[in-house]
Amino acid sequence: MEMFSDIPVEVGLVHEGERIRRKEMQVELGGPDIPDKFELVRVREMDRVEQGKISIEGPDLSEMEQGKAYPLGILVEVAGPALEEDLEGVFERRIHEYCNYIEGVMHLNQRYDIWIRISRKSFQKGLTSLVPIGKVLIRLFQSELSIIDRIQVTFLTDPAKVSGMAAEARQIYDARDARARGLSDEEVDTFYACALCQSFAPSHICIITPQRFPNCGAISWFDGRAAARIDPKGSIYPIAKGECTDAVKGEYGGVNEAAKKGSMGSVHRVWLYTGFGYPHTSCGCFEAIAFYIPEVEGFGIVDRGYKDVTVNGLPFSTLADSTAGGRQVDGFHGISIEYMRSPKFLQADGGYGRVVWMPAELKERVGAFIPEEIRGCIATDGEAKTVPDLKAYLAKVQHPVTARWMAGGSPARPGEIPRSAVFPAGDLPVTAGGVRIIFKNARIHADRVIIQPVIPRKEEKGA
Amino acid sequence: MDRKGISLKIGEFASDVGQIRDLELTVGRITRDTWAETMGPTPFPGVTALRSWDRLLLSRYRPFYLPFCDLCCLCTYGKCDLTGGKRGACGIDMAAQQSRIVLLASCIGAATHISHARELVTYCIGRSGTTHRIDVGGVNVEVEAPITRLVSGVRPETLGDLERVLEYLEGQVTALLSATHTGMEGDALDFESKVLHAGMIDQVGMEVADIAQVSALGYPKADADAPAVPLGMGTVDTRKPVILVIGHNVPPAVGIIDCLHDRGLSRDVEVTGICCSAQDMARYAPGTKVIGPISWQLRYVRSGIADVIVLDEQCVRTDLLEEARRVRSPLIVTSEKNCLGLPDRTDDAVDQIAADLAAGRLPGALILDPEKAGAAAVETVLRVAPERKKQGVLPGLQALTGDADRCRGCVLCRRSCPNDLPIPEAMEQAAAGNLEPLGALYDACVGCGRCEEACPREIPVHSCIIAACSDRLTGETFTMRAGRGAIQDVEIRKVGGPIVLGEIPGVVAFVGCANYPRGGNDVAEMAVEFAWRKYIVMTSGCAAMSIGMYRDGDGKSPYEMFPGAFEAGGIVNVGSCVANAHIAGAAVKIASIFARRNLRANYEEIADYVYNRVGAVGVAWGAMSQKAAAIASGFWRLGIPVIVGPHGSKYRRMLLGRADRPEDWCVYDARTGEKVQVGPVPEHLFCAAETREEAMVLTAKLCMRPNDTTRGRALKLTHYMDLHRRHYGMVPEDLHLFVRTPADIPITMKDEVQRILAEKGWEETTIPDPTLLLRMIRAGKG
Repeated sequence: MEMFSDIPVEVGLVHEGERIRRKEMQVELGGPDIPDKFELVRVREMDRVEQGKISIEGPDLSEMEQGKAYPLGILVEVAGPALEEDLEGVFERRIHEYCNYIEGVMHLNQRYDIWIRISRKSFQKGLTSLVPIGKVLIRLFQSELSIIDRIQVTFLTDPAKVSGMAAEARQIYDARDARARGLSDEEVDTFYACALCQSFAPSHICIITPQRFPNCGAISWFDGRAAARIDPKGSIYPIAKGECTDAVKGEYGGVNEAAKKGSMGSVHRVWLYTGFGYPHTSCGCFEAIAFYIPEVEGFGIVDRGYKDVTVNGLPFSTLADSTAGGRQVDGFHGISIEYMRSPKFLQADGGYGRVVWMPAELKERVGAFIPEEIRGCIATDGEAKTVPDLKAYLAKVQHPVTARWMAGGSPARPGEIPRSAVFPAGDLPVTAGGVRIIFKNARIHADRVIIQPVIPRKEEKGA
Repeated sequence: MDRKGISLKIGEFASDVGQIRDLELTVGRITRDTWAETMGPTPFPGVTALRSWDRLLLSRYRPFYLPFCDLCCLCTYGKCDLTGGKRGACGIDMAAQQSRIVLLASCIGAATHISHARELVTYCIGRSGTTHRIDVGGVNVEVEAPITRLVSGVRPETLGDLERVLEYLEGQVTALLSATHTGMEGDALDFESKVLHAGMIDQVGMEVADIAQVSALGYPKADADAPAVPLGMGTVDTRKPVILVIGHNVPPAVGIIDCLHDRGLSRDVEVTGICCSAQDMARYAPGTKVIGPISWQLRYVRSGIADVIVLDEQCVRTDLLEEARRVRSPLIVTSEKNCLGLPDRTDDAVDQIAADLAAGRLPGALILDPEKAGAAAVETVLRVAPERKKQGVLPGLQALTGDADRCRGCVLCRRSCPNDLPIPEAMEQAAAGNLEPLGALYDACVGCGRCEEACPREIPVHSCIIAACSDRLTGETFTMRAGRGAIQDVEIRKVGGPIVLGEIPGVVAFVGCANYPRGGNDVAEMAVEFAWRKYIVMTSGCAAMSIGMYRDGDGKSPYEMFPGAFEAGGIVNVGSCVANAHIAGAAVKIASIFARRNLRANYEEIADYVYNRVGAVGVAWGAMSQKAAAIASGFWRLGIPVIVGPHGSKYRRMLLGRADRPEDWCVYDARTGEKVQVGPVPEHLFCAAETREEAMVLTAKLCMRPNDTTRGRALKLTHYMDLHRRHYGMVPEDLHLFVRTPADIPITMKDEVQRILAEKGWEETTIPDPTLLLRMIRAGKG
């Protein structure tokens, strides 16, 4: 522990899960009883940051009354040539992680909602000041994020100062959120590829764009950007977007290239915003699946938390099995929940206008992102448990997909392979040429005969 | 539906289509097959089908022999002394002989599980019919029998389908056992390959057994919230009639529970159990009481609380007839494999048997029909309990001092004690009236009773130890989460992200018997430590009970402290010994779920996948039996390392890797075909640890795999370094072998790691898509 030999308590990942109950705490910083509190990371010009400086504005831990709650603001200012404002949010979430590495420090929530407790035990061990916490933050930030050249930490505990700065911080969070939500794939020239899952699915990569989260839902485009800068040789790397050859389906030259390379040639083309044709490949840890229901020409969506069978009679586990492992399966598409909040969600297929079914709980989660006029048309497990139920429901509410039924003819589903005709029994080749079979003194032995049942033909679509 | 032995003869037949004369058609079996997955290379593999895979593993992990016995005494040429490079009369050398005995043990273990599986499948079919569908987790489990699919190539859909798998297993165990005959196999590594084969079929046998009982007996089905069941002797209401069941095969216990239910007596009679019968009984009826692991047999029987004792099979003390007689508890034995010389009363009326037992005309009876055995146990306990005073043979305070006073300090008890407990010293104190040292032996006592056998003055030493802390015993009130069975596919999908993102450092399974060096508390504390560290902790059998017999500062048991889901920081009790198959099954399912690899008869490819990617470790801290040997062997063939406690060295050989030989640790990068050195991960396949501290450090180390992402490796290294520093007081010497790129270095330890790497002349390497199999290289393919 030489890195923290001057810190009075232990610092390490093992302390991450530590819970400090009220009776064990020395003081509480932020939390439900304190209206104003915040933590904020800002990227500054080099000359505005003094490397290693720790300031405390207001009373320090030793000056606080035992068992009481106090306001707190944590301002971390960083500088370095590779840093940009877009990375502030990513860095800021590290404060939570790093604080929790410290023995006897419990950090909950983030941004304007932080809730920290210092244990009495650690206080007695010598953690009587915020300075060592600042030191830990500074060292861990620079240990993990080598692109930070300079860093300084300010703790505000003076109520007036916290209040003032908290208001400013709120504006910054809002602006940051607006940028994150508003940033479109068209506005950037770099996407990111994530090959982390290759550790278990060797031919799968995820493409991360501002409007398409990876299948696991765990890494935003901003996270990808930060990760790629921090570890240029790592599993998350930038890809040049390249030429956009189909803005609706979401086909980009750079993405195709990356998919080809990442999959060792097993995937050549990827259309980012569709479940048909060349959909994004599915690894194993996708949060939900969009699955095509040919009978109604729409997509059902089921998340992995849903414990019943879906409307087509198959549960998540079976549907997942049909698309996982880095495969590209027409009409089956592993996705993240966050992608369901994106305007690009299944854009080429009609977006939510093509979604016909999802579990009620999932619909609730993403409800705000479903266009008002369609929201009521999407059936849930409450309304439809079978495809005939679903069909009746969709017809009743005049879901947009019903317009496709009227169009008649073959449904517009690319990649459909026509079924081969089955010979009627009378035409068995054995008699076709007038051949006679003669067995005389024959013996046929078989250790084992495997008989596979004839798979019944599926109903015609749209019938 | 399977059909066997169809034959058809046509003397003469003529039609427009053709003419047939004297046609004889014989078909061994007609099987329905609805599984579209392509058949892999090794369906129903024979003894040598996976020999080349075994050789790959054994070239990295050479057997390291610890001869427990230098002689061979299996044939009449012998005894043959095999020391100093000598060969026996048949030509066998020491290495082959040790491996041969390991094979023998593994065959005994595999045969035991397979025979148990056969009994369960027959029983379940009798109860529910051959067409009863296999259901281990409803819609949340797509792959219901991963090991069976993987090994045999069969996807069992009904109970009847399992019979075919069993026939295969029975054939294999016979072939393997025959290889231990004098003048058969002569090569140590070939013996070892057969050991691995025995382990593999053992896993199939366990899986068959458990999925049959889960499907037919209504156990929790892959349920993370399986009910909490009472655990410990203190949970028994001794005012009620008490039945005790000991063993592994649940049908007689089911017979008892069903009979009580049918007679409306469920609340009036206590059904208690020891060892795996208790585990499975609790899955069937959560109101039953689990007394404890295998080592609780003597202490509980001698307490006299059990009014009737029912034995089935495996790990049951063979002197229980004598012990039961001493406390005047009638004994019912129910297994053809364990008859104890008792008269067969299977065909007699229940009342008649109960009357004979209650009147003491018979000390016990053999009843081979589980339903009747259950009914007889109930009828007997109702007759016996009101008369029988629950008096045990544990000495009272005065008798205890008297017994202790007879001790002359010859130390034979201590010499025969597997844990070298200081009994003579404690006896001396007890004679002087201080019972504390004697009572203090309780925790580390494995309940074998060898001290009593050794005592020349016939002092009931074991009883004295128990009596000296009788309050402890009767105060044992804990809870355990009932065995949940399989892991859901969805749970596995959920942990994929956290594993690659470096939030879950590995999977640790605490399994096996209760031959602990210092008591079960070690296992509980290890499980708690790893659960705190956000490992996924799995457990089964006696180890799962030991984990339950622990409380934290707030009085909570580990099952209350941690969730039962397969997730970071979960403690997952899968069930009895045979439920161990679900632990291996979860590893196998990872290949199917994330990489969509075919499982069907595709053992080598999947083992290669599991070995190189799944950071799982088994810890069998108190492994005692031959079954435990077979279970471990099954994990080895899948490439999952196993750590045993100090008594485990008596399994005669370890499978140790050589971290000092970099050339041993090359894999192919499946992307390019290049050979890449990946370091000693995992360093050993089978090793013993002396102390729990050593075991914990080893466990953290053996979770590393060549495919680890940098975040994953950094997390694994964090725990390895932290545990090493805590328990050895220093940074591990071999740290540099596990760092591949700077991104592997844990951020909280960067300075010191960088310094060490510089000192060791460390060089950066690449992270491959690892495989040991040439055919898995993708470069140049399509």
